[in-house]
Amino acid sequence: MPLLEFKGITKDYKLGKTVVRALRGLDLTIKEGEVIAIMGPSGSGKSTLMHIVGALDTPTGGTAFLDGQDLQQLKERQLVTLRGKKVGFVFQTFNLIQTLSAQRNVELPMIFQGIRKGERARHARELLTKVGLADRVKHKPNELSGGERQRVAIARALANDPEIILADEPTGNLDTESGTPVLEMLKKLSVEDGKTVIIVTHDPDAAAIADRIVRLRDGCVVAGSGYEGEGTSGVPSAGRDVEGSSLEPSTLGITTEGSDSHA
Amino acid sequence: MLKDFLVLAGQSIMHRRMRSWLTVIGVFIGITAVVALISIGLGLERTITDQVASVFGVDAFIIMNEDTFGPQAHRPGGAEEYALDLSTLRAVEGVKVAAAVRERTGFVQGPPRSDGTPLQGFFPVSGLSPELITEFESFIGELEVQKGGRLFEVGEEAVTVLGSEIAKRFQASVGETVLVVGEGSAELSLTVVGILVPVEEDEESRGGFAAGMNQSQNQDTIYVPYETMDLLWGPAKDVLITVVRVNPGEDVDKVADRAEETLNARGSEISAVTYTDISEVIGTMTSTISAFLAGIAGISLLVGGVGVMNTMFTSVLERTKEIGVMKAVGAKNSHVLTIFLIESGLMGLVGGIVGTLLGLGLSAAASLFIGRFFGVKMAVVANPTLILSTLVCSFGIGAIAGLWPAWRAAKLPVVDALRYE
Repeated sequence: MPLLEFKGITKDYKLGKTVVRALRGLDLTIKEGEVIAIMGPSGSGKSTLMHIVGALDTPTGGTAFLDGQDLQQLKERQLVTLRGKKVGFVFQTFNLIQTLSAQRNVELPMIFQGIRKGERARHARELLTKVGLADRVKHKPNELSGGERQRVAIARALANDPEIILADEPTGNLDTESGTPVLEMLKKLSVEDGKTVIIVTHDPDAAAIADRIVRLRDGCVVAGSGYEGEGTSGVPSAGRDVEGSSLEPSTLGITTEGSDSHA
Repeated sequence: MLKDFLVLAGQSIMHRRMRSWLTVIGVFIGITAVVALISIGLGLERTITDQVASVFGVDAFIIMNEDTFGPQAHRPGGAEEYALDLSTLRAVEGVKVAAAVRERTGFVQGPPRSDGTPLQGFFPVSGLSPELITEFESFIGELEVQKGGRLFEVGEEAVTVLGSEIAKRFQASVGETVLVVGEGSAELSLTVVGILVPVEEDEESRGGFAAGMNQSQNQDTIYVPYETMDLLWGPAKDVLITVVRVNPGEDVDKVADRAEETLNARGSEISAVTYTDISEVIGTMTSTISAFLAGIAGISLLVGGVGVMNTMFTSVLERTKEIGVMKAVGAKNSHVLTIFLIESGLMGLVGGIVGTLLGLGLSAAASLFIGRFFGVKMAVVANPTLILSTLVCSFGIGAIAGLWPAWRAAKLPVVDALRYE
């Protein structure tokens, strides 16, 4: 059973008097442990899809199952629990809380789950060590470099040990030098910890670490809507967006390596 | 979890230190005013009741005309004469000593002056129970006689003590006699046993508590024993004030009620006023005044509350994205609401603490000022109930002012909040 199964998802927004149809019958299945890159021009519905996957928003129509739960049947409270426990967010602009130290930022999701102080602090330091910031725990976000901030954000996303990491343009505000470790880290989460990583990106480097690229256009998936072996489509390489094309996997070794992990 | 929210809110306040302080100033000005006014009011009340207590003692009560004191008083504070049978009063159970003052204007003839003729005319004649002098000195003030004289004693009748002014006019000295003519054909020759010490101008305020006994009159008055008045004018219908001390261990309020009942049953129209009665009246008066003043000061508290609300709205607006992030990482609406409420409540509380300290300081300064300029030692009151309720109240004001902004923050749709730039 796939971790995530979306069928015919639609999402309409009201913007004043006009209705914006952000998603128009989107199909997508993702299985556990995959690294997915969601690509597409702006306005194609990437962010909307991301919000729905992250339980920040609910679809207008279609069926959406996340880990066996029907998102449309969930009440607000249950959605909160879902995004608190099952999903970790990484944002383009880091979105760390400026008044809190790196450690406290990582502790924040645990606070809302009612985890006790000592346990929280220990786990937060552990996670910061994991992302290579053991010596930065007491620093405030404005004392950290962009790459470091994004790594704090990754640590925060991991705080409640979620199954899915949602990264929205994680390298969008970073140069290649600081972006690469961030991408490596995300890849590692899939390979070593079996997390499902979904990256919304324009960045070909980010797409390159993905097991599969899902291409969106005008609110529909035009390529990569299903995982390998499920029979819907293969793994298209970066730069192509033809639906159903079954091209060779990416030439990057890292992708092949990632594919092995769930083969 | 609440403790964590407290820390989060505190950190956010400290982060916007300048603005937070300005907001707090708005709150503490109001709190300072309210606390100071109430404290001063309480101090004033305490001072007055202390003075009443020092005059009265807790085992004594006074009897006044029922129109003078009490809920139906027509002329509060003014002296009205009343009829009284002192022996009936003395027989009331629990009464230890009773002493009274009655006053008349009578025709008086002094001793012969240096030119051989005596001065005569109408003068105030005041009858004092000798017990007033021996037992209730604090009531009538210190009656001090000039050297060579004395005050009268219990059981004496044909004696008088003259005020210094009238003694000068009569050219009378101790040992001589004055003639006092009463009602009908009653008249008595009284031996002068003492002359009062003249009062210095600046000592005027030292006078007694009893109504109608202010010092400027004293020196024009001919004082006679209370019983002597009976001989001249018959049974007392002209009593100004009566002072009663109860037996040790008696409940002064109960004895006072008994006395009032007994006397009024015999045709007097009097009120027995105890220390508690006076304290109550003073308490009602001062608390009405301080409630009124505190109400006015409360307006500035309201303004402070609006200040908190304004700050919180700004805070919610500029932290929209932060709210989105908190929600994205699993914060419930109630979490966001709580954090913001604590934040505004904290600002109120800090304002309350600072305001209470300043208010108490201000009231202490006021008592010092009053002490220096009016010669009254005013009590400084730091009422724990007042302090506690002020602190609770100030947190409440902050929280209530923050309710609307916090609710807005909690209701922000997470997707919109995250998009907010």
